[in-house]
Amino acid sequence: MTVTSRRWVRFAFAGPGAILIALAVMAGMALWLPGGAAGIDNLVLPLILAPLIWAGLFFHACLDRRLGRVAIVALGLLLVHAALIAHKFLDKGAASTEAHR
Amino acid sequence: MIHLPKHETKAMVAVHGWSGILLGLLLYAVVVTGTAAVFAEEIGAWSAGHVATRSAFERPMADTLRELGTETPAKYREAVDVFETGDHDLGLFFHRHEMAGGELISRGLFYVVNGDGRVIHRQAGTNDDVYGARNDNALRSFLVDTHVRLHLPNPWGLLLTGILGLSMLVAAISGLLIHRHLFKDIFTLRRSGSAILANRDAHSVAGTWSLPFAFVLAFTGSFFSFFGTVGVPLVAMAAFGGNVHALTEAIYGNPGSPDPRPAVIGNMDRINADAIARAGAIPTFVTIENFGRADARVTTYHPPKAAALAPVSLLYDGATAVFLQEKPLIGPRPSTGGTLAAIMSPLHFGNFAGLLSKAIWFGLGFAMCYVTYTGMRLWLVRREDGVRSFAWLERTNMVVCLGLPFALAASAAAFLLAMPAGNAPWWTPAGFLIGAALAIGAGVIAPDCVRLGLWLRRADGALLVALPLLRLVAGGPGWAAALAAGQPIIVMLDIAFLLAGGRMLWQLGRPSKATHQPTILQPAE
Repeated sequence: MTVTSRRWVRFAFAGPGAILIALAVMAGMALWLPGGAAGIDNLVLPLILAPLIWAGLFFHACLDRRLGRVAIVALGLLLVHAALIAHKFLDKGAASTEAHR
Repeated sequence: MIHLPKHETKAMVAVHGWSGILLGLLLYAVVVTGTAAVFAEEIGAWSAGHVATRSAFERPMADTLRELGTETPAKYREAVDVFETGDHDLGLFFHRHEMAGGELISRGLFYVVNGDGRVIHRQAGTNDDVYGARNDNALRSFLVDTHVRLHLPNPWGLLLTGILGLSMLVAAISGLLIHRHLFKDIFTLRRSGSAILANRDAHSVAGTWSLPFAFVLAFTGSFFSFFGTVGVPLVAMAAFGGNVHALTEAIYGNPGSPDPRPAVIGNMDRINADAIARAGAIPTFVTIENFGRADARVTTYHPPKAAALAPVSLLYDGATAVFLQEKPLIGPRPSTGGTLAAIMSPLHFGNFAGLLSKAIWFGLGFAMCYVTYTGMRLWLVRREDGVRSFAWLERTNMVVCLGLPFALAASAAAFLLAMPAGNAPWWTPAGFLIGAALAIGAGVIAPDCVRLGLWLRRADGALLVALPLLRLVAGGPGWAAALAAGQPIIVMLDIAFLLAGGRMLWQLGRPSKATHQPTILQPAE
């Protein structure tokens, strides 16, 4: 991969990639985080942590010299959380209004 | 101190510079209006000449609430918001919840009751109408709206300010990473060097001291902007199949078995007195769920107690007026998520320790404005001898950074003159636009940036000095009347405007000490 194309890939992970993945992680987190004492932590913490998740992805994409590692971390997070959301929607039986506790 | 390798430092310098230069001017507008909005409540009292000091929650309201509840159609008795409006008048918004365009809204009837217990205003509408600009709060509302959404329609304004928050977060973190001598830089102000070095030092010192503050503001600000626009719909989609109302109920609702039997609302005066005694402060807001039913619940919201950060909220049985529990702001019982969410608001608004914390937040906000302005100046100075000319950007930078305070002061002047005639909601934004047009016009016709800066500073200073006089001419209370009524904030803001404007004019009269020695800045500078 040329230096220019590596730069564009890095730019894609730091820019639109970080936004998309942060949104997917925020939605997916609601499905695996524990509800906590009040049963709302899984709903509230993703909303609070979203800006920090985005910042983490952004700076990782900017600072990690190994582009492969940037891609593995970002796409891994995307894959896991997208799969969780897809599972939730495909699971008709569990598609009630009850939140994950 | 963080020691990044040279390659990464270079990348962070680029990120720091571009994050500021691409969105810096808009960010500056949001930070300036946010800094002023720290004192939104005080500016509201100052501009409208509010002199009443007895809270609506300290006056009897129980009978009025019952009477208005009887005459309000049953469909709007799902919930009631109770709050102070105008000069300590009582606002009561009977409403129901609806979904409109994928957004949860409140629709119902809004009443304003004055100090004598008379209904002086009735209005049918949604939460946007009830909590929007009125004649006596148009200036405060304009300031807050500019800060929150730059007057763009929902959700675009919130999304834009959220993105600006993220760019501020990037600038703050990258600013920390590129500091090679963090502790030394905090105390380094070279006055004897060139003007460029002095600017660089001032940017670095102001930026370093306000770094934690910038991080907190950017983080909490982007949280607020994205919360309703992106966060809630996405989490509701994942956890509740897209049902936003179910998510809101899970987070804010009071769990319990429904009991729809009719029941007269309990004695609200007893609830208010008990809540004030328990929280040690007047409620900032009160909500009543299931008004007129046996399962009615009253929640009172109060500022944080001394040495605490999280606001206080108390839950009462609405039908019997019996105290039930001190409840967290979010969720039915204390939790990590609820506590973190509850402290986001005081951390962003700086209203957790009265005027002292507000003054600190104002000062640090002012430092952020200075950092944004000097940061953009440094970026431009470094490119002065480059192939491409950025003279237009330097001029734009000056028009925005010095013209925006002028336009805001012009909107305040327009408000003061228009409020007695009842036209403030129209004239306040119009005054801002006139001020902005004058600043832009000056930017177009000024022969150079030095002259432009001189004109704008002079206009800023003169208008700030004129504001207290305009307030008095427009019929606002004098200092003796304000002090006698127990509203020293009116006098304090008058003095603040006179000092700020006077200092700007006085500085312009002094000879400039700036020298113009050539200086080469290092990458991290």
